[in-house]
Amino acid sequence: MHPILTSRTRLLAYLLLWVPLGGLLAGLAIMQGWSRLEALALAIPMAVMGAGIYLSPFYLCKVVNVENQSHQNLFIIWGFAAIIDAGFWSGTAWGVARFLGRFEALHSLPQKITPALPVLWSLGVVLYLASAAFYYLLIALQRAQKAEAEHLQLRMLAQEAELKALRAQLNPHFLFNSLNSISALTTVDSKRAREMCLLLSDFLRKSLGLGERKQVALREELDLVRAYLSIEQIRFGERLKVAWAVAAEAEGALVPTLLLQPLVENAIKHGISVLPEGGELRLQASVQQGTVTLRVDNPADQDAPLKPGLGLGLRQVRQRLWGRFPDRCRFESGYENGRHHVVLSFPLETEP
Amino acid sequence: MTKNTFTALIVDDEELARGLVREHLQGHPEIAIQAECANGFEAVKAATEQKPDLLFLDIQMPKLDGFEVLELLDPQPATVFITAFDQFAIKAFEAHAVDYLLKPFSEARFEEALTKAKAKCLAGELSVPRPAELSAAARDTWPLERIVVRDGTKVTFINLDKLNYIQAQDDYVELKTEGRSYLKQQTLSSLENQLDPKRFLRIHRSFILPLDRLTRLEQGLTDSWTAILRDGTKLPVSKSGYAKLKELIG
Repeated sequence: MHPILTSRTRLLAYLLLWVPLGGLLAGLAIMQGWSRLEALALAIPMAVMGAGIYLSPFYLCKVVNVENQSHQNLFIIWGFAAIIDAGFWSGTAWGVARFLGRFEALHSLPQKITPALPVLWSLGVVLYLASAAFYYLLIALQRAQKAEAEHLQLRMLAQEAELKALRAQLNPHFLFNSLNSISALTTVDSKRAREMCLLLSDFLRKSLGLGERKQVALREELDLVRAYLSIEQIRFGERLKVAWAVAAEAEGALVPTLLLQPLVENAIKHGISVLPEGGELRLQASVQQGTVTLRVDNPADQDAPLKPGLGLGLRQVRQRLWGRFPDRCRFESGYENGRHHVVLSFPLETEP
Repeated sequence: MTKNTFTALIVDDEELARGLVREHLQGHPEIAIQAECANGFEAVKAATEQKPDLLFLDIQMPKLDGFEVLELLDPQPATVFITAFDQFAIKAFEAHAVDYLLKPFSEARFEEALTKAKAKCLAGELSVPRPAELSAAARDTWPLERIVVRDGTKVTFINLDKLNYIQAQDDYVELKTEGRSYLKQQTLSSLENQLDPKRFLRIHRSFILPLDRLTRLEQGLTDSWTAILRDGTKLPVSKSGYAKLKELIG
């Protein structure tokens, strides 16, 4: 499709461009000693004609690709096209002048047009080449925009795929160990076995449901984390203590789905589970001046060889946070006094 | 002579998981549970002191994993590994351990493993491969970051930075650190394979040298070389060892 004909504003701008061009034609004629009436009588139809004719180089631009033609070829193709096109334009001018010569006031136009034809023709060639160059530029611009849009589309698809993968990545270790705990409980404490079945179902349902959405209120993430931790609590018993400090105003904050859960899983996997005595897992969420701060910290065994996966999990969280709040978020993690912490901060945005 | 009683040790960091094994063993009066351990340290201590016939061993545990525990035991009990999910581990010990159980497991599956373990026990000498090799194959961290040794019933981690050199002593390796030396049942070759070849070099049939300990080389009377370490220790360098050294440090 023609880029000028497909947009009203572009078409209007293009037509307005022909007003000064028509003025230029008329000015040139007046300088040659034409009367104002004569100059306008010819310049107006010529501008209208030109506006129509000079839309055409676009189609040639589409066919003749600058990148895979030799300079010589380009020169021949465009030279030829410009000569013909300008010839057509100036030829029409001649015809129009002949026609207008019938009117009393314009009777000398047919004589005056003949010496003006070479100038008109040259102007036509220049206009043709200029418009060709302009169309090439427009095509390149369109292509760049399309590439950008495709890139954006791809990035969105990648993010979605990542989220799906994250959801599918239900930690098998956790799952099998929980099932083993249930198996152990069935004979010694059937009530708790049932309770754990329910907790596990609750957790699975929540995490499957969450994965369908790109972002959720922190409240929902926290619910999932609570379900998860109550299962781990049964598995680890005394070894796992959880301290919550969640400000009510933080609960409504929108976060990328499954932002917090991987952090808590990490805290168990790399923290509590590698320590014989376990320890306290702390979860904090607060809001200060429109900024939400989430903090997960856990005791860590710094001497233990790092299990593979910690870096990857953190990187994913960081990327997803950045994807949602580009340039407006902060991610920090590190060891301090025998504890490992991850701190996320990002602008407070709530559901409408 | 038929043995009709067995002693057993249960090792798992989760109380419920230990309880499950205990429960399954209750139907077997021939088996006496000696102890239950919640981590690798306790396990090594209990197993060294009490020398159980059977060992039910979880793999993922704090401080010392199941492989490391087994690596340090001598003699080795008939061992059944119990794990939630570990593809690498399963591959590695499929051929070697008496059996392995995947959590959660059925009673029938547990009985099967128990029968195998008892049979292995009755067969006498356990032909388990050197567990250090086993654990090296099973663990996904390479090169080794620390060496686990047992000193009596106590487990010690040797930081690789503290090593002066390693010397082969029959079936053992002697790990020389600044203060003292440790013995570990492992061959020098298998240890060599676990170490980072950019940091540690086998300079001789009987010696592995951390490259940062080397100060200079001295040529002997014949075509022989001696490595001088930072603390003044002199170690022999074989011909191939010298070639490797030259290639590494020019």
